[in-house]
Amino acid sequence: MKSINLKENQFIQFHQKISFKFDGVKYFGYKGDTIASALLRNNVNLVGRSFKYHRPRGIYTCGIEEPNALVQIISEYSEPNTRATIKKIYEGMEIESQNRWPSLENDFGSINNLFSPIFTAGFYYKTFMGPHKKFWKNLYEPLIRRAAGLGKPPKDFKGISNHIHHNVDITIIGGGLNGLLAAKSFINSNYDVLLIDFEEQLGGIINNSNKISSIDNKEPKDWLKETIQEIEDSKNIKILKNTLVTTYNYINHLIAIEDRFVGSKPIEGKVNSTLHKIRTGHTILCNGHIERFLSFQNNDLPGIMLSSSFEKYMCRYGLAPSKEPVIFSNNSNSNSLVYSLIKAGLKPKAYIDSRSGEEIEPNLFDLIRKNDVPLYTNSQIKGAFGNKKIEKILVEDSSGALNEIKCDCLCLSGGINSDVHLFTQSKGLLDWDEKDLTYKPSKPFQPTITLGSASGQFNFDNLNSDINEKLKTFKVKKLDVKLELNTNAKYNIEKLWEVSPQKKSLWAKSFIDLQNDVTTKDIRQAITEGFDRIEHLKRYTTNSMGTDQGKISSINALGIVSDLLDKKVNEVGTTIYRPPYAPLSFSAIAGRNCYEFYDPERKSPIHNWHLKNGAIFEDVGQWKRPWYFQINKDESMHDAVQRESKNVRENAGILDGSTLGKIEIKGEDALEFMNLIYTNSFTKMKQGSARYALMLGEDGMVKDDGIICKISDQHFIATTTTGGAATVLGCMEEYAQTEWPNLKVFMNSITEQYATFNISGPKTREIMKKAFPNINFSNEEFPFMTFQFHEFNGVPIRILRASFTGELGYEIYIPSNSAPKIWDNIQSVGKEFGLAPYGTEAMHLLRAEKGYIIVGQDTDGSITPIDLGLSWMIGKSKKDFLGKRSLTRSDTIREDRKQLVGIIPSNKTDKLEEGQHIILDKEIKSPVPMLGHITSCYYSPTLGHDFALAVIKNGHSMIGTKAYASTSSMGTTGVDIVKPVFYDEGNKRLVS
Amino acid sequence: MLIINCPYCGPRDQSEFSNGGEAHVKRPDGSKEIGDREWGEYVFIRANPKGLFYERWVHTHGCRKWFNCVRDTSTDEILVTYKLDEKKPNLNNFKSVVKTPSGEPEVGSGNFTVEK
Repeated sequence: MKSINLKENQFIQFHQKISFKFDGVKYFGYKGDTIASALLRNNVNLVGRSFKYHRPRGIYTCGIEEPNALVQIISEYSEPNTRATIKKIYEGMEIESQNRWPSLENDFGSINNLFSPIFTAGFYYKTFMGPHKKFWKNLYEPLIRRAAGLGKPPKDFKGISNHIHHNVDITIIGGGLNGLLAAKSFINSNYDVLLIDFEEQLGGIINNSNKISSIDNKEPKDWLKETIQEIEDSKNIKILKNTLVTTYNYINHLIAIEDRFVGSKPIEGKVNSTLHKIRTGHTILCNGHIERFLSFQNNDLPGIMLSSSFEKYMCRYGLAPSKEPVIFSNNSNSNSLVYSLIKAGLKPKAYIDSRSGEEIEPNLFDLIRKNDVPLYTNSQIKGAFGNKKIEKILVEDSSGALNEIKCDCLCLSGGINSDVHLFTQSKGLLDWDEKDLTYKPSKPFQPTITLGSASGQFNFDNLNSDINEKLKTFKVKKLDVKLELNTNAKYNIEKLWEVSPQKKSLWAKSFIDLQNDVTTKDIRQAITEGFDRIEHLKRYTTNSMGTDQGKISSINALGIVSDLLDKKVNEVGTTIYRPPYAPLSFSAIAGRNCYEFYDPERKSPIHNWHLKNGAIFEDVGQWKRPWYFQINKDESMHDAVQRESKNVRENAGILDGSTLGKIEIKGEDALEFMNLIYTNSFTKMKQGSARYALMLGEDGMVKDDGIICKISDQHFIATTTTGGAATVLGCMEEYAQTEWPNLKVFMNSITEQYATFNISGPKTREIMKKAFPNINFSNEEFPFMTFQFHEFNGVPIRILRASFTGELGYEIYIPSNSAPKIWDNIQSVGKEFGLAPYGTEAMHLLRAEKGYIIVGQDTDGSITPIDLGLSWMIGKSKKDFLGKRSLTRSDTIREDRKQLVGIIPSNKTDKLEEGQHIILDKEIKSPVPMLGHITSCYYSPTLGHDFALAVIKNGHSMIGTKAYASTSSMGTTGVDIVKPVFYDEGNKRLVS
Repeated sequence: MLIINCPYCGPRDQSEFSNGGEAHVKRPDGSKEIGDREWGEYVFIRANPKGLFYERWVHTHGCRKWFNCVRDTSTDEILVTYKLDEKKPNLNNFKSVVKTPSGEPEVGSGNFTVEK
């Protein structure tokens, strides 16, 4: 195909040359060129290899519908599958073709084409079955993946995108003739209007074709310029160019992607695409139509192109891809291509129309006659032939005779389709038009208006009345635009989906989906095999499942299927059009919610101290908590945890507990409310005392635990688990609003307002005395489970005597801003007593030695307080609390429920592991009756052996018996079932 | 994404809200004897109709208030939102606005682009 540059063109700057590389070879294009137009200018027609058969492919279209010309942009993080027909070139751009090896010209994979008779629909499903399951994973799949496919995924991606939200009254999608007219109606009205077009220039058909000769007695280009100026001057209309609407959701919610670097290389570190999230009152779809192709033998050869695309290259890019193309059509849409060619001083080599002479428009006839263009009416192309490019075609004329025509380019038109993707995404219904042979929007489901060819109006006669009628619900001025056409024809089409090949051959291919290499034969075979529902057929053959979603071919497939099944197309139906309309990069969807912004990190006020003192952190929800502290780089986690735990038992340790949830509850009815939320009774509790409390779900299962401090009957402070803070507050608010709105009570999170230090160990009292000399820490003045408010150096603090380690312990609550200073002070006074920080892992070990549970580790949403042996925490005299009635359900009073017990290995040197099953027999004979499993397991430095907590069936009555712990990795270990307390059962140390 | 009209704050994006399941489920009075069946139904059983549904929502990332609404589960259209202490609207008021996407049958996925 030899292209020719046309004279001056308003969109291409012929004085500005741009160099770029395609497969390592340097070429020149002009400013304004797409990759496709620049390649065609350089007579590069072979641009890629096909998905399955590795057949040579060229440029088929001039827009977003392109199935073939997909390329990899090496100079942009190796972005794959970029449509060459829309991506603009820039100086120094590097492009590579895809799916070929070693080169595009000599592709080894094209051997697949020889074997193609066996690669029919369902080939992979049927063939790669045996001899063993492993063959698929280890042999077939890697082989097939290597051979099939599109571009290579980029290794490194640094694209940045941002999101912008819009809230408007009207969104007009498509800035073509109808979009501009609709926007013109809204100029200076009271509506907020967004006009979106995915091209750089508004105008659509006015720019892309020579269909229109004048508008309002003006040159179309002049009219366009004036109209765009008027719209831009209007304060209520915003125009988004280079923006593609990909998604039409419920309640008029649109997603559109804007390319911020059209025609230039994205600058690293700058936002290169913007995702627009648009909420609109009404959507006006003016997104036009898409031309479809036709199926005949070798309809995929490079040099074959859609006829309106050829015209678009002429009008938009000042380029005729060929000097003398052959045109093959079954409709009137290609008339304007003939007109454009002749206007440019070129001439079609032949005009072939499947329609009869009477159906062809008289003015087209005149044009063809006057210019001596060979005309074939009632004729069809039986096939195209050539080596890596089209060289000749075979035409069957009206008499049935075969004519060979040599040519370097073939323009095809199989008719036009309303671009219904967005309309159906909005859940609007389609209807098949028997006359125009396409689906057209019928019933909208949302406030959606369709105009122009998007609504199925393929002629211009009702332009004014249609727009005025559809926009009459708005207070806008009426349109009266005068339009004159160059090719004065009503849209007319004859049914033709496929031309069968001249010779029957296993190698003859008529494609129905160019990107996925689906042939019309595959469709036939699928129907023969019973896949006659259109959704099944699509998946079995992969028809229209490529990145182009079969934009130029899916309606043809419906036509072929309806003929085969002898059904109406409406009965066959369509497959569902799903968003996005065109591929959308993940980085655009992610926007700024990536890297450090992916998930917020919460840090305690002491975080910087932890960083300086060797803390290794653990993620607890969004919080960063010290897991353990390394005294030097060589210390292992096990050693650190053993050292920290031992130090708490022998001296004293300090834990940063600031992440614990803290909720303040106030109000006249706070006491009654707390009695309803927690299992415990707070009525008789003294002011200034604290209580360990459980919260259940209505199903009676333990949901959270914490310590409740009673300041008065009208004022409580509750702590929650670190991970449960938000849920517990949410639950309290829900019940306060929905079930007990009569109670006067208010609650608020104070988690981040207060830091919490947990100090525990036998020497704690000495440390506290020294750190807070004005407070009396004696057992009489400050007994276990009480709290006191004090002031320390002007800072109000609350000290609670409680412990999660089983040692004498205090929790200090300090306003966050003052916390680091007091933390430092405690560290320095504690040094002489051996005070050392400990992390969450040592805390877990210490609490497990005492049998204290962790909600979410030792419970899993199916454990009641009774199962945990915590019946004493249930306020049985209370009339009601969350989940109370569930504790006497038949299921919760079953005896063989899983209950909490302690486990120690019978042979003290044996190891245990979290998650091990507890079983009764040493012999493993499947099925093995499973009693339960180990929920927590540690090596205790104090006991000198492993110990564990477990939930096992009927556990409470099994205490004192023997069983086995088992996993496939560790074998079977004999264990003793014991009470879930391993240390200081009498709590002497706790209250010392 | 839906737009939900919070009775306290006005229309906001769905991402600010959390769903709370069926509305007007009465919690049995704990001070009285409650039968196994009555309690079991309160804890475990919820309606799941295709069509009009009384539903609870909470404005989690907003005023944190709970409120009720009538939603058509077949179209996702929220027909009315109202405060907890307001009377529940009669579903018959909404009969006329019920529509199913794509003229789908009474039971089904709604995956049709052509009227059946």
